[in-house]
Amino acid sequence: MPDKSGNAYALTILSPIRAGHLDEIAYADVVRSRLDAWNFLENSPMARVPQTYLCRYFVLDDVFTQSLGGGDVFGTWQDFLSIFSDRARRRALPHEDHLKSRYLVFSCNFHGDLDAYLRGMWLAIGNEIRHAWEFCYAFDQVRNADDFVAYMKKCRLKASLFFVGSNDDPLDEQLKALYLKQEFGKFVVAHQGVPAAQLQQAYRDFIARVEPANLAGPSWSPGQYRLRQENQ
Amino acid sequence: MSNIAGKAYAMSVITPVRWYMSWINKLFFWVAQKRSSTLKGLVTLSLIHYARWVVIGRKQFPRLHPDQPQEDLRYSYMLFFSNFNGSWDQYVDSFTFSIPSGLDLFWKWNIRYPRSVPLTPFHEYIRYNQIEATHYYSAYPLASSNDVKAAKKVAQALAGFDARCHDAEPEAFLKNYHALLRDLQNDLGDMRPTPIVSMSAQQVEKRRQRDVRKEQERLAAMGEERKHA
Repeated sequence: MPDKSGNAYALTILSPIRAGHLDEIAYADVVRSRLDAWNFLENSPMARVPQTYLCRYFVLDDVFTQSLGGGDVFGTWQDFLSIFSDRARRRALPHEDHLKSRYLVFSCNFHGDLDAYLRGMWLAIGNEIRHAWEFCYAFDQVRNADDFVAYMKKCRLKASLFFVGSNDDPLDEQLKALYLKQEFGKFVVAHQGVPAAQLQQAYRDFIARVEPANLAGPSWSPGQYRLRQENQ
Repeated sequence: MSNIAGKAYAMSVITPVRWYMSWINKLFFWVAQKRSSTLKGLVTLSLIHYARWVVIGRKQFPRLHPDQPQEDLRYSYMLFFSNFNGSWDQYVDSFTFSIPSGLDLFWKWNIRYPRSVPLTPFHEYIRYNQIEATHYYSAYPLASSNDVKAAKKVAQALAGFDARCHDAEPEAFLKNYHALLRDLQNDLGDMRPTPIVSMSAQQVEKRRQRDVRKEQERLAAMGEERKHA
């Protein structure tokens, strides 16, 4: 299944936004504004959604067609013909498509299965979801986690190719590993040239402090963007 | 609006593809997914967290309600989403230099795709078709993809070392400790909230200033409490 690579999942959602206005502002622009407001919060609401690696939101207003010369055979031939005829040049230009609806796009990479993830998302940030999706077609019928899972599956587009360049471990394992890497690096720098017995004691104290096997213990928190927020 | 979440950059590109050729794109992707050796070039681009290609047929845009107008499109569309580290130029150029033919294969049937070489038309093509994210989130904004991979190695090596040497004699401990450091010497780089390279820096800075202000208010309140005590 191309949406999944190992334990990592690539979710692509396109939710059509209703044509309408709220206080003279188009619904699609209201959606954009609400999502933009998340940038001013202490941290993203998505930090509360379990197992989210990375995700993005945007509003797709329309599609684009770039009409500069391309590299395909037909394009080159048409470009050649356009030297002799302006009509040929105009006919060679790509057709211009336009969307009839605007779409809320949610693209996410996470660990685990789709149903469990979407359920966790609804339980963690149901209010924010309702706020962001309020003006999307058929979202008014979403009342609980099951409805949300079913709704999102209707909006889902399957990936043709998914590439994982990082790793697909559970997020709490990744965050714990990052915490350990950072702390062990500091330990190594601070204990250069220390005699063996003293180093070993310091190492034991270090291990007791960082608790490598305890995922619920000292670690980085999801979305943490400053070092001093470490739970030590 | 920001394509930046700490060390990660979100690239979102939508490009038209002739509807009767989109199945070839899907076939290439299917082969690439099945034969991991075809993605060897991508693997060398260690700056990528996750990337995906999605081909939407011209009649496959989600329609959820009878009131929603049916899309009437001439082309199918290919969406490309990538999460990577570094600047836009570094990323696009590294694609061009590392896997130019693979890149051309994936985008070959897209309308007016100029090919990945030379760089300038390719840059223009991507810029024209790129969409800025309104909200972008990373669970580990301080870390690059290489940090995530290195962290896994450090955690595993440390666990193995601890099991073997926690209670060893000091001299044996030191010998193994040095061996551990030799093994991990490329994986212990410090992570910091730098560099900030785009508009999102503004958001980060606002948060930072708010944090500092809160801390100052908290300290001032504590000082007041002490005075009255």
